Amino acid sequence: MGLMAWGRGKLGGWSPGGDLPVPELRFTVLDTELTGLDARRDDIIAIGALHMQGGRIELGNAFQELVKPTAVLDGRTVVIHGITPSELEARPAIGEVLASFLDYAAGTVLVGHCLALDLAFLNRDAKRSGRAPFRNAAVDTLSLFGWLRRRSVDHPAFALELPAPSLFDLAEAFEIPVEAAHSAIGDAYVTAQLFQRFLPLLQQAGVASLSGLRRVGDPRRQLASLADQEGHTHF
Amino acid sequence: MLIDETVRFLSQVPPFQFLEEPLLRELVQSLTMAFHPKGEVILHQDGPVSEHLQIIKKGAVKITLRPEGNGDEVVVDYRERGETFGLVSLMGGQQRTTILAIQDTTCYLLPKERFNELVLSHPAITEYLLQFHLTKYADMTSREIQGKSLFLESSDHLLFTAQVGEICQRFTTVVEADTSIRQTARRMAEERQSAALVVGPNGEPIGILTDSDFRTRVVAEGQPIDGPVSRVMSHPVVSVDEQDPCFEVVLKMLQCDIEHVAVTRGGAIRGVVTNHDFLVLQGRSPLAFSEDIEHQTTLEGLAPVSRKAMSIIGVLLREGARATNIIRIISELNDRVVRKVLELAERELGPPPVPYCWLALGSEGRKEQTFRTDQDNALIYADVFDSQKPRVAEYFRRFAVFMRNGLVQCGFEACPANYMASNPDWCQPLAQWKRYFSTWISEPTPEAVLKSLIFFDFRPLHGDRSLAWGLREHFGRLIPDYPTFLGFLANMLVRNRPPLGFFGGVAVERNGEHKDGLNLKIKAVAPLVDIARLFALEKGIQQVSTVDRLEALRSGTSLISDLVDELEYSFEFVTLLRIHHQYRQAEAGQPIDNFIRYDGLSSLERQSLKNAFRLILKVQDQVMDRYKSFII
Repeated sequence: MGLMAWGRGKLGGWSPGGDLPVPELRFTVLDTELTGLDARRDDIIAIGALHMQGGRIELGNAFQELVKPTAVLDGRTVVIHGITPSELEARPAIGEVLASFLDYAAGTVLVGHCLALDLAFLNRDAKRSGRAPFRNAAVDTLSLFGWLRRRSVDHPAFALELPAPSLFDLAEAFEIPVEAAHSAIGDAYVTAQLFQRFLPLLQQAGVASLSGLRRVGDPRRQLASLADQEGHTHF
Repeated sequence: MLIDETVRFLSQVPPFQFLEEPLLRELVQSLTMAFHPKGEVILHQDGPVSEHLQIIKKGAVKITLRPEGNGDEVVVDYRERGETFGLVSLMGGQQRTTILAIQDTTCYLLPKERFNELVLSHPAITEYLLQFHLTKYADMTSREIQGKSLFLESSDHLLFTAQVGEICQRFTTVVEADTSIRQTARRMAEERQSAALVVGPNGEPIGILTDSDFRTRVVAEGQPIDGPVSRVMSHPVVSVDEQDPCFEVVLKMLQCDIEHVAVTRGGAIRGVVTNHDFLVLQGRSPLAFSEDIEHQTTLEGLAPVSRKAMSIIGVLLREGARATNIIRIISELNDRVVRKVLELAERELGPPPVPYCWLALGSEGRKEQTFRTDQDNALIYADVFDSQKPRVAEYFRRFAVFMRNGLVQCGFEACPANYMASNPDWCQPLAQWKRYFSTWISEPTPEAVLKSLIFFDFRPLHGDRSLAWGLREHFGRLIPDYPTFLGFLANMLVRNRPPLGFFGGVAVERNGEHKDGLNLKIKAVAPLVDIARLFALEKGIQQVSTVDRLEALRSGTSLISDLVDELEYSFEFVTLLRIHHQYRQAEAGQPIDNFIRYDGLSSLERQSLKNAFRLILKVQDQVMDRYKSFII
């Protein structure tokens, strides 16, 4: 990561006193594909991300990388991702991918569904490859959903009974078309559209700036409930 | 995959579908995607202009306009999946309408700079936008005019402001699903209704049966009439709320291709509304006018109806009719007025002593009239023996004078160049007319050709058409023998060069009354008319209207066969521009002319005007090449 990028990363949009309204915020909506949920054993095998400026999703300039894993691919997850070991063999190692992803995400607010998990893996690998962890502000769409549901916002999708609905449950409830499920970039795109639908609802509820988003979309909020979910198959 | 999905979508959406995939792919890189929840006002009238062309991926928006002053808000249009909005404000630098998401709407946003590049660099895009969006733009402009209008009567506004509950038939035959077909028909007859609503157990409308359904579904298909009505009804039935504006209901009827709609109040049946109800409401369709004309029996009665008929232009513009159709409808209405005056003349002066044919000349002959122009007409009567001649000539002289005065009274001014049947030169027996044409064709001089052009676009409007066909046949035979005549036409055509400057700019009047104006009739309409006429005469084509002539040339071996689409489009465009200009002048109570202000046009309009000029230049160069020995 270059100095410039680091500088932007450090200052980007979340310094105290710099509470920007949503339209002026730049977001990186991301999703990672993992070989499993165990941070001691499993690996990131793909990172997909795209930028949003306020509520607008940018179709160009998406981030999309497959990663050469350190562990052997497990047949169980291959079925979900459709990525085979040989496809990953020729890919760059995580250190290299992380460097360019840090660059890509510099100065933006990170957004993801169950983002805490993605961040745990990303920061673990950053540490392993001798880099600083992600310092970006972070917003979790599942936390946002939970908060909006508690506020009983008037939208049929909030009638969903599931305690921790998957990205695809939510996509269906919000009528977001899912084209390439379980590819990192495809899931990031769905997440971005979900976030896009939340923004006007949040604004109605008085959440219209970065500080508000961080408060109601704190990724750590979901971490505890997520840990209880046996057999949760979003990953 | 983001890109692929979007490319796939755009490749099915005009005008983007005309782009090649690599360009589309590159274009998609610059798009963003926005979500507008239902109820969001995306753009505000008189608010900031759009920075994007928005392409609807999913959902729908409603475009409304609030006329200046305190008029009621008017629904201008609806746009849905695959359609765009923001175009006019993108080009015009002014947000003239309010755009509201009426469903959750997802749009792709094409940034302004990228859009401008595309319009300038890509002919397919430009062409599409011209053909489709200008109609919508035109539509909008005239709606804007309508808002301030005194010219159009209040009934026009009703369609946009009245609620359907105000006009629906309050009473209607209501039957249950198991009622027999026979019983339903009996009830309709007793209650004098043209439709019956079929309701379910809770009184909710589940189907509808109309008079025409009895014809097509019961009788034609031999259905047993004791069967339940549910077997032959149309379902599901489209219902609207009584508070919906009439315009939205009409739109729904058009979209669903139906003639009856159930009107409900809080879900309960209140009545039925039919397309007939809307016709009555509007009452100003071209058809209504034509009936009005037919019913007149005196010049005094006819004159005001005729003068009012011009307001139909506004209605047609607003309904988004094509300019080339508008001029046809105008000509059709004018024809009816002229025929009516002819009828009155025959009654006044007694039956004509010999058969005659009334000719419309020039633009009237080509059915290309915009706002009422002056009279251009002539009269042919059958050849007579010398002994009868004075008496017959005297009858038609008086007849033609009656016509001229009658038409003036109806709002057609006398022709300053005296191209009227009331001029004895242009009220002659067939033999004399043949001599005229022989002279024009065999001994052409530049001046004579120029003067006679108007006669080559004649059209029999009333009377004995065989006289007109006889004349047409006569000169049709002559033309191939006298190439000099076409040479003169060609010469005249190439001399009227489009006002395109060295750098592609358009030259305008530098001073005088029309400073900065561009004479649209002389510089844009006339060359296109002249092109069609030259090549039609060259190929012996009988048609007179510019579009008909071009169509007839399409399949042949003419020099311009390949350019027919472009020529037709250019003609449509300049005609539309001209009608708009004149309509605005008429609205403002100004004298009507053909001078448009080039700097007052939007960039898209300028672009297409330049395209028309380039096309004219191209044809002129070809004409010059073909007729080089005649070009002076």
